[in-house]
Amino acid sequence: MFAMDGIAAGLGVALTPSVLLYSLLGVCLGNFIGVLPGIGAMAAIALLLPITYHIGPEAAIAMLAGVYYGAQYGGAVASILLRLPGTPQSAVTVLDGYPMARKGRAGLALFASMISSFIGGMLGIAVLALLAPVLAGWATAFGAADYAAMMVLGLVAASTIGAGAPLKALAMVVLGLILGTVGTDVNSGAQRFIFGTPQLMDGINLVALAMGLFGVAEVIGNIRAADRQGTPEPMGFRQMLPRPGEMRTLIAPSLRGTAVGSFFGVLPGTGSTLSSFMAYAVERRVSRTPERFGEGAVEGVAGPEAANNAAAITAFVPTLTLGIPGDPIMALMLGAMVIHGIQPGPMMLEAQPAMFWGLVISFGIGNLILLILNVPLISIWVSMLRIPFHWLYPAIIVFVCLGVYSVRGSSFDVLAVAVIGAAGYALALARFSPALLLLGFVLGPLIETNLRRAMLVGRGDPMIFLERPISAIFVAATVALLGWTAWSAWKARRRG
Amino acid sequence: MRRDWHDFWGGTAMAAIGLGVAGWAAAQYDLGTLRRMGPGFFPLGLGLVLALIGAGIAVPALARTGTPQPIAWRESGAILGAIVVFGLGLERFGLIPTTAAAVLIATLPAPRSGLVWRIGVTLAVTAIAWAIFSAGLRMTVPLWPVGR
Repeated sequence: MFAMDGIAAGLGVALTPSVLLYSLLGVCLGNFIGVLPGIGAMAAIALLLPITYHIGPEAAIAMLAGVYYGAQYGGAVASILLRLPGTPQSAVTVLDGYPMARKGRAGLALFASMISSFIGGMLGIAVLALLAPVLAGWATAFGAADYAAMMVLGLVAASTIGAGAPLKALAMVVLGLILGTVGTDVNSGAQRFIFGTPQLMDGINLVALAMGLFGVAEVIGNIRAADRQGTPEPMGFRQMLPRPGEMRTLIAPSLRGTAVGSFFGVLPGTGSTLSSFMAYAVERRVSRTPERFGEGAVEGVAGPEAANNAAAITAFVPTLTLGIPGDPIMALMLGAMVIHGIQPGPMMLEAQPAMFWGLVISFGIGNLILLILNVPLISIWVSMLRIPFHWLYPAIIVFVCLGVYSVRGSSFDVLAVAVIGAAGYALALARFSPALLLLGFVLGPLIETNLRRAMLVGRGDPMIFLERPISAIFVAATVALLGWTAWSAWKARRRG
Repeated sequence: MRRDWHDFWGGTAMAAIGLGVAGWAAAQYDLGTLRRMGPGFFPLGLGLVLALIGAGIAVPALARTGTPQPIAWRESGAILGAIVVFGLGLERFGLIPTTAAAVLIATLPAPRSGLVWRIGVTLAVTAIAWAIFSAGLRMTVPLWPVGR
């Protein structure tokens, strides 16, 4: 059977010493960075991207993915103990995790977040393994128009659903698309927007862009803020063990959270942050005692934590099978794959089954390692919250510089990070989301190529987007989303 | 009354970038036809969309109040300065002096910190940077100033 061969080959890949080692390194670093408030998974992945140039593609992607889902585990620690989300995805965990800690149940809150993260992650892997081959089968029917329409839907969904002003989010997406056109146009060979700078001929360097927007801008914004954080009480393994009967109360919320997270993870444009908010809303809705939420309900920790871990894994479904990243972190991941010569898409499962199944299995191993790292070794992570940020950020800045330089030995790229970092900080001040800029940047060339191809196929008639049923559905959904957003903005204004 | 200057200037900047991109694309690159789009078509379209969105952000911002966000001048100056020093100095002065200088500049805005702490952090970060990138990853870069 095809899948069995693939799994066997994947085991061979996942159990290679280098893949195991870098996956372990990735989850540890991700966990560490997730625990620390002030620097998120996005910055961590950008920071590690240059280092992966020196290792094989399987090990590189296993490591970067490990950073992502490792950060989801770690993010809950600061949320629960300090009321400071370690990552945006764990912001919801603050709502009930911190009240639990105030009532002396920090141990149970941490245990709930780790167990539900593990359940969400493992079931998310099952969803990935089952759904990816199905979706890849469908995707072979996708034409250029369908791809372009789907990516536009993803960008519009990412900017209109979720927090923040939709117009500002759309502005970032479009600015990202524009930045994506810088460099040599693949279709005509024309040099666009390089203004006589030969270093820009291959386009803006993804690593420099990601590091400037996330690493540098986050450090600048956090030097002052991060030092006002408190220090947590020490926490040991014994305090984390649940009382009899408590374990059972975690199962149902974890399963519901996994379902919510898997759904939003697979959808284009909705990421793990949104899924954790949705899972919280679901828990409150199904609860017989909704008044306990916000006062320390353990379901309010378990549901969202399961959801964000499930979403972190299932987000790989569209990324690997369609080559379309659903959220900004996946955009960075896609960029990393392309740099390593992996071309995700419908053919990847057939052409490189060992790669796909190797990643799936390494995610499973990574989640198991994270459970071991976080339950017995929780005291280590809690003590890391005692490290003041000003001990860490000078090292982060130096690693940003050296990391960018090491990609292709270019001082120009280091200076570009300074420029992008300044712009990123300005954007953060004006409350524009740099994450959406990155999503637009990665998708830009893909959209342009598919758009041009579709128009060529359609002989210059834009109706091709409505004549093909698949793309017509995506176009209709995009229009509906934009219409709904405009309508709710208008309604909100009328209400005053 | 404080107007929402963040959104006003943010939107204006987006509109200006959009118009600039659209104008440059229309003037410099071949637009092609709908059937065979040239290199200028996509940027022209995007520029116009960004200009519209920017105007849509900036104009309503004039009619509402906003809370000003303090700008961390010292922090951004030190961090960006450290990166620029690093970018300009690495190939001329070598990894070790450049890293040390960049760390020292970066520590300037750190709260509660004396000279001893700054020097300690500088030595530690420089040593780690050397160990990872030069000894570990074998990056080809001079360690000390290059004589000419």
